[in-house]
Amino acid sequence: MIAQALPRNWPKLAAIWAVLLLAPYWMPLIGGYTALGTNVLVFGLAAMALNFLLGFTGVLSFGHAAYFGLGAYGAGLILKYVYSSTLLALAAGVALGTVAGALLGALIVRRRGVYFAMCTIAFGQVFYYIAFQWSSFTGGDDGLRPFQRAPISLGPWTVDILSNQIAFYYFVLACFAVGVAAMAFLLRSPFGRTLLAIRENERRARFLGIPIERHIWLAFTVSCCFISLAGAMNGLVNNFANPRMLDYNQSGQIVIMAVLGGMRSFWGPLVGAAVFVTLQDYLSSQTQNWQSFLGMVFVLSVLFFPRGILGIRLSMASLKSGWAQLASLLGSPRKDAA
Amino acid sequence: MNLLEVQNVSKSFGSLVAVSEVSLNVAPGELRAVIGPNGAGKTTFFNMISGFFPPSAGAIVFDGADVTQLPAYRRVEIGMGRTFQITEIFPELTVFENIRIAAEVAAGYRLRAWVGRQEASEIKSRVDEILSLAGIASKADRLVGELAHGDQRAAEIGMALALKPRLLLLDEPTAGMGDQETYEITNLIRRLHRDSKYTIVLIEHDMRVVFHLADRITVLDQGRLLAEGTPAEIAANEAVQAAYLGKAA
Amino acid sequence: MIYILNLANGLMIGAFYVLMALGLSLILNLSNVINFAHGGFLALGGYVAYTLSPFVGFWVALLLSPLIVAILGIVIERTMIRRLYGRDPLYSLLLTFGLAFILEDGARWWWGASGIPFTVPTFLSQPLSESFFFITRYRLFMVLMVVLVVGALFLFLRYTRVGVRIRAGTLDLDTVSSLGVNVRALRTFNFGLGIFLAAFSGVLASGQISLEPTMGAPLVMPSFVAIIVGGVGSLTGTLLGGLLIGVAAAITTVFWPSASEAVIYVMMAAVLLVRPRGLMGEEGMLS
Repeated sequence: MIAQALPRNWPKLAAIWAVLLLAPYWMPLIGGYTALGTNVLVFGLAAMALNFLLGFTGVLSFGHAAYFGLGAYGAGLILKYVYSSTLLALAAGVALGTVAGALLGALIVRRRGVYFAMCTIAFGQVFYYIAFQWSSFTGGDDGLRPFQRAPISLGPWTVDILSNQIAFYYFVLACFAVGVAAMAFLLRSPFGRTLLAIRENERRARFLGIPIERHIWLAFTVSCCFISLAGAMNGLVNNFANPRMLDYNQSGQIVIMAVLGGMRSFWGPLVGAAVFVTLQDYLSSQTQNWQSFLGMVFVLSVLFFPRGILGIRLSMASLKSGWAQLASLLGSPRKDAA
Repeated sequence: MNLLEVQNVSKSFGSLVAVSEVSLNVAPGELRAVIGPNGAGKTTFFNMISGFFPPSAGAIVFDGADVTQLPAYRRVEIGMGRTFQITEIFPELTVFENIRIAAEVAAGYRLRAWVGRQEASEIKSRVDEILSLAGIASKADRLVGELAHGDQRAAEIGMALALKPRLLLLDEPTAGMGDQETYEITNLIRRLHRDSKYTIVLIEHDMRVVFHLADRITVLDQGRLLAEGTPAEIAANEAVQAAYLGKAA
Repeated sequence: MIYILNLANGLMIGAFYVLMALGLSLILNLSNVINFAHGGFLALGGYVAYTLSPFVGFWVALLLSPLIVAILGIVIERTMIRRLYGRDPLYSLLLTFGLAFILEDGARWWWGASGIPFTVPTFLSQPLSESFFFITRYRLFMVLMVVLVVGALFLFLRYTRVGVRIRAGTLDLDTVSSLGVNVRALRTFNFGLGIFLAAFSGVLASGQISLEPTMGAPLVMPSFVAIIVGGVGSLTGTLLGGLLIGVAAAITTVFWPSASEAVIYVMMAAVLLVRPRGLMGEEGMLS
């Protein structure tokens, strides 16, 4: 029973989790710091949540940061006005983002492609606008502050996640694990397979009896749920929430993390987030024009690495077989056509 | 009672009349071929039967129930399976995965987040059954997008079969195939018809296939019903010959 | 009376949105590309005009600057965007998104981050009269320019060969190409045209607001909404959409000033609920 529950690629999984679990210890060795790792996890989860919709269902939302930001605001509002409980804050952030996603998703799910993307962008801006204007409640441009993450009490122990960076890292890792496990579970299920079907060939999926719009709406809602979890954690990381967490710039960054890491791979977006967050961290300390560099990252990865970092592996394999075929065409006796 | 009754359907796109008052009755277990020169409206006709779009006029009755306005995915649920002229499969998934998706939807699992061991093995045996029926069991773990055209078509037919259809609609199943592949697909269709007793309606251009398989033939020309009858009757029909004169079959 | 004034104000604002949105719409319709960098080209238009006008004067700069920026746009289209046409729209979206960053930062690097005032010929900047103080001559001039340009655009699309091909290509690119039209050149030209409109808006805008690297960004979103409200695929719809949201924003400013931007999005939501294809969009366009 256990042996069957263990997925086939468990060595790779064990390696990934080992790296993540030990991060606070190996990161300082290469010039990193724990808080950077925490950021990578937050944006990694955000990118993976987006990729649930983008890479696995084949639907592009370019306004997804709205739900990311809503998660932060939800958490912050609880911590600031209601009750100092981290878990309640997380739950509130997730609830806010998920409900918003479900409602808006239902509105736009009949459209697809470019039009759908435009609508997601525009709706994302609605939330940015609300956060910006409703300053009495949300703090406006300055953001929602001050609030801070509350220590977690687990029975007799209290985990101080406020001042202890390492403890906070592990807390975030735990939430990350929950989110990732849930998404992996869903993707492996019959429901998850219908999403793959929609990505691969929408017409065929429809003619197999899959109600496309309904399933896309569900995927959208699931994706919003986990991105708002990431957003709530982001609020906790920074101890504030501001409108910039909601706007389309943020959305675009999350999308590029997924694309950069590899849309077709489950873990790709985490890799993309790691690269992007680290790069942004490094560049902004080095030069004032880090924005252009980030812009270049977008442009170059789209033009030259559309399959992403983890997709390069796959291209390597086809590159090899391509060489072999070329070689045999040119008369080299040693290589066989693949 | 007829399994499928198409009653006087027409379809216009703006001022363009694609199909005009065509009727068709298919008995259970029958294999009906729909033929006609290019532009006769065959695919449009098919699209109306399978629910791709509704007819401008007329009715479609399936097993006694009026399905004229029913959306495509609902028609699949009540027993219509369809393949397309350009093979519609899931290219980056394996053959097994392609058919499994169809089988899971047919079993009602499409929204399920979890399947138990018993259910999973039932699905697996169903998929294996279809794989051997379609003759592609040896290719189960290969990506469908990488297969030869004939195998892709067999996989697509397999997906339609997984839905437990009562009626199979095949749109030019041998399109773009060489002789060997045509032969194999024709055999597959014949097995499905003779052994498994499926009711089949197919559009075909290849006359060898048509005359080999069909119980009855319906001929369309320029959106209208030109003739209907047994293969022998159609072969002897002068109007049909005239319609095809000068047009490659 | 105050309503008429606000209506007039709204139409002026709307006219401006129209110009931006039409450029976006042209590019979207023919090439399926959401040009996120549109705001950046707007800013560039203003900046280039600012740089040129000491040498050639305001009026020449008004026409020359958009031309130069359009040429830049064409270069970008040919080297980068063209490669992405066959692919998923995701990629061109990400590309223009990255371009927006580069353009903004580039402007910041070249011209500095602080706002630069762009001086307009004096006779334009005076108010029309005492009582209508907010209708400066410049604003009237802007509206006049917009009307001229939009009129010229519609005439161009209606009566010239290229214009007709652009319109036909929006509906059915395959047929147009099978008729022997060079689709690639058409798309390049169309893109340049869209960028010209953006840059022209930028020159006009810089007479009103100060030149900043980020000046284009807040104008892109209402342009999107204008397109959605008016209906994707229809330029007349975009025109209507732009005017509508301008008027709606202006009228809301009277009653509830802080909600004047929100009303744009409310309109968008209403349209999506009630008539998803937009006011003049066609069923099935880009769905």
